[in-house]
Amino acid sequence: MAVGTIHRRPGPAGTDARGRRDRRRRGPGLWHFLTFAAPGTLVYLCLVLAPIIMSVGYSLTNQALLRPRTEFVGLRNYELLLRDETFLQSLRVTTILTLIVVIVPNVLGVAVAVLLDRRGWLYNALRSVFFTPMVISSVVISVIWTRILADDGPVNQALRALGVREPPGWLSDPDIALYSLSSIVCWQMLGFCVVVYLAGLQGVPQELGEAAAIDGAGAVRRFRHVTWPLLAPALTINTVVLLISAFKIFDHVKVITNGGPGTGTTASVAFVVLQEGFVENRTGYASAEAVVMLVVIAALSVVTLRILQRREVQL
Amino acid sequence: MTIPTGPCRARIRTNDRMSFVAMLLAVTLAVTGCGSGDPSSAPTSAGGKQKVSFLIFPSPNLPESYWKAQVALVTKTHPDLEVELVAAPSESERNDYAKQLAASGQLPDVQIGMQDLIALEPSLEPWTEEELKDFLCPTCGAVNGKVLQLPANTQTIPNVFYNKKLFAKAGIEAPPKTYAELLATAEKLKAAGITPFVSGGAFVTSQPWTAILATDLYAKTPDWMTKRRQGAVTFAAPDMKAATQKFADLAAKGYIDKRQIGQDYPKTQEAFLAGKGAMYPMGSWFAAAADQSEMKADIGVFAWPSDDGSLHLPAYTGGGLSVSATAKNVAAAKRFALAFQLTKENLDASVKADALFPAIKGYTPPSGTGPVFKSVYDLWQQALAQKATVAPFGWEAGDTAMVPGMQGKFWSAAQDLVSGEKNVDQVLSFLDTEWEKSG
Amino acid sequence: MSRSSPPWLRPLVALAVAAIFAIPLYIALINVFKQSRQVAADTLAPPAPPTLDNLVHVLTGPDSLFWSSLRTSVLVTSLSIAVLAVLSAMLGHYLARHTGWWSRAIMVLLLCGLMIPPQVILIPVTQVLKSLGLMSTLQGLVLFNVGYYVPFGVFVFSGFMKAVPRELEEAAAIDGATRWQTFWRIVFPLLRPATASVLIFLGVWIWNDFLNPLIIYGPREGTTIMTGVYKSLGQYAADFGGMFALMFLATLPILVFYLLLQKQFVKGLTGGATKG
Repeated sequence: MAVGTIHRRPGPAGTDARGRRDRRRRGPGLWHFLTFAAPGTLVYLCLVLAPIIMSVGYSLTNQALLRPRTEFVGLRNYELLLRDETFLQSLRVTTILTLIVVIVPNVLGVAVAVLLDRRGWLYNALRSVFFTPMVISSVVISVIWTRILADDGPVNQALRALGVREPPGWLSDPDIALYSLSSIVCWQMLGFCVVVYLAGLQGVPQELGEAAAIDGAGAVRRFRHVTWPLLAPALTINTVVLLISAFKIFDHVKVITNGGPGTGTTASVAFVVLQEGFVENRTGYASAEAVVMLVVIAALSVVTLRILQRREVQL
Repeated sequence: MTIPTGPCRARIRTNDRMSFVAMLLAVTLAVTGCGSGDPSSAPTSAGGKQKVSFLIFPSPNLPESYWKAQVALVTKTHPDLEVELVAAPSESERNDYAKQLAASGQLPDVQIGMQDLIALEPSLEPWTEEELKDFLCPTCGAVNGKVLQLPANTQTIPNVFYNKKLFAKAGIEAPPKTYAELLATAEKLKAAGITPFVSGGAFVTSQPWTAILATDLYAKTPDWMTKRRQGAVTFAAPDMKAATQKFADLAAKGYIDKRQIGQDYPKTQEAFLAGKGAMYPMGSWFAAAADQSEMKADIGVFAWPSDDGSLHLPAYTGGGLSVSATAKNVAAAKRFALAFQLTKENLDASVKADALFPAIKGYTPPSGTGPVFKSVYDLWQQALAQKATVAPFGWEAGDTAMVPGMQGKFWSAAQDLVSGEKNVDQVLSFLDTEWEKSG
Repeated sequence: MSRSSPPWLRPLVALAVAAIFAIPLYIALINVFKQSRQVAADTLAPPAPPTLDNLVHVLTGPDSLFWSSLRTSVLVTSLSIAVLAVLSAMLGHYLARHTGWWSRAIMVLLLCGLMIPPQVILIPVTQVLKSLGLMSTLQGLVLFNVGYYVPFGVFVFSGFMKAVPRELEEAAAIDGATRWQTFWRIVFPLLRPATASVLIFLGVWIWNDFLNPLIIYGPREGTTIMTGVYKSLGQYAADFGGMFALMFLATLPILVFYLLLQKQFVKGLTGGATKG
């Protein structure tokens, strides 16, 4: 995603496609479509679009994969959802997760990117360090952090050494676990933001900053008025990517807390959908949850994109 | 410029439409063509052997090598069977995993130790009376009158394992006999700076609750669960509430360390064996790990005490192998399952590695078992003699169990009580709500 | 910080921040070489003495879990990203060059696909694959990967396509080259940074995925390596050293792949912005 948008720039004259209509395209147009566009579209149609429509269909039934009879139940699943404490709690959990995961890596990402925005091997190496967690599987990340945050792990060992008698139960205290989990995701996503912001920063002409400096603008003001506006596309990319990733969070929950401690204190919507669909086997009901999830994320992404892009234009 | 686009590039350099067709073919072949070699469509392999897939759950106590050895004992006497092991992610997740496999039509032919038999009912093949003739309790765990799982062994859930050294250190001379004594013991331990109960993760946290429900609920109303299923009682009923309150009080008094609920099962076991707590309410299977530890001589066992000191020991018979109704070769799968459960060496190995009490006619455990196993086994025999066994709440199977999916809710509710996230009323109403949702 | 502060300050601060950030990576690395007992006792300490036992144990384990799942993962990942690069480059090119309603419709549908969480479609996907006879097969998993990630590939490629002058293609057409030839000989080589980005991102995502293989590939044909790691959590629960060694070995191939392509990839990220 990152890559595509960052290249948004005035295209060469040739990209103006409208108005050109040479004969070659009309004749073999279908053939062109079949060879270039059809294979990808077809696979996508069968494995993503059709399943979405099927999900909507399932959500109107009481289907349970291990039960033979399936009946049409209309919107009953959706009515039940509105009163289902497990599902409502998962929406709250996902909201908190999403807020943290969208804001924190974005803020820290800008800071780190500004810090690393220099040439030389040192900065290249450090950029790689920050990006490495993005390359590592969430399962592996989760296991590492579970060890770090365990009650006898290094963090609490250090706190005890510092004289804290009862260090927090990072993953066992229902009031803290969700925030620990969010932090782990932030740590993993930070590198992505750093790289995207760095790419944005490197597109900022040096002369602009220098000119502003000559005019007597301080570092903070220079950043606020010169650099930051030019980072707008990077902010858009990061926010949308983080939003979508945060909404999908499943692996970390599954491996680190399995939705606990206690009932659903860290159970994200994605986790609950899978639990309901593949473990409790209530496919119809799970599909209704999935559809709600899809609608929410679609609405959120569109709104966010609109707001951020309007901002880009204004700046 | 070394991008490894090799595979695409090679394909790409060629020129005309023909090459497109060729490429499309290649992709189609790559993606679908090889599907013809789908091994699952062949129940018998080349050597005329009958293939059976077997869902197992490796754990620190029962590593993959244990399962291989167990299977080898069967295939030694049944050389025409070829058994393929399928490992579940972990012991505590084996049920979820099995259900997930069943939901996507991939349940292996044979499974071991399934607990949510009601949910799995449509996928499992019932056992006949004839096949069950060697089992002590042939109808244990039946679902709608059908026996879906071989009632192969008995487990007592929980026993209270205790650390004799820590008891001595706190000045406790004998294990408690009544509930009041248990509270006094816990208080003394706490005063001595020792965590009274070791707790952890999902199901371990619920063990004291199961124990209290045995002495306070099932001892008086053995058919409580049947009544709940008929809707004659709810979780909000007074006896249920009183028992749950006792459990919540244990946590409120600080006898259960709520910081431990985030740790997983293996770590919990390790914590008790490392002396990080004095009492460990746990199923009889823990005896196996206890006997392999260095402190086996220092581990004692007692039954969770009731108010008046009478003995009520929760015991459950089942836990054996079950066969998938969609197995490619049901007869072979059943033959394997029965052989697995009835071979003497297999049972001996399961006693030693998993501290099971085989519920097979005429079977006696081998000599040379460890001290902890002996005390747990004796306690069970004593309860049997006094007819003092009751059902273990949350561990029952089939018609006497909670409705599907409730076990996990019961476990997480126990964590909510210990962490103080929910009070007793909230937890019980949560369980009632979830029950309605599942029913 | 640039003008008023001393020149050594920035590298120093950068190093310090990176060092704190990298502590978990350090933990992941050193514990590979420690006895399980030492991992449990002191996770942060350097290995004393370092041991290769954990690695040897995983590599020579009697269940050969590592090697068989490594093979599966290599197959799944390389097949998926090769097919994806080809299909999405062509589709991206088509969509960038056509502005008809169908083309825009496809683009919008694909954009929607970018935000669909796999959980939403997994249940019906198992049904689709079952009806194709591809459930529990490697081909089924590859097919799902292709369908699920094609929007990302198209998005990247069509974005890049705007930087490729249309005149180049027209000139080639006048010279008598077919569309097919023009695309593969002239356009595709220019898309190299985009290809690198697509290969890296998708390679990493597909390699690291544990959920989809867990459900789609099923239990019998073995596992991919990350599903293998996930499924080993129970078995290694008490053997931290073994766990860290397995995780290290499972991550190594994709890390190397990333480092090899990194230069191209960074160019892909920054190229358009600076060259513009």
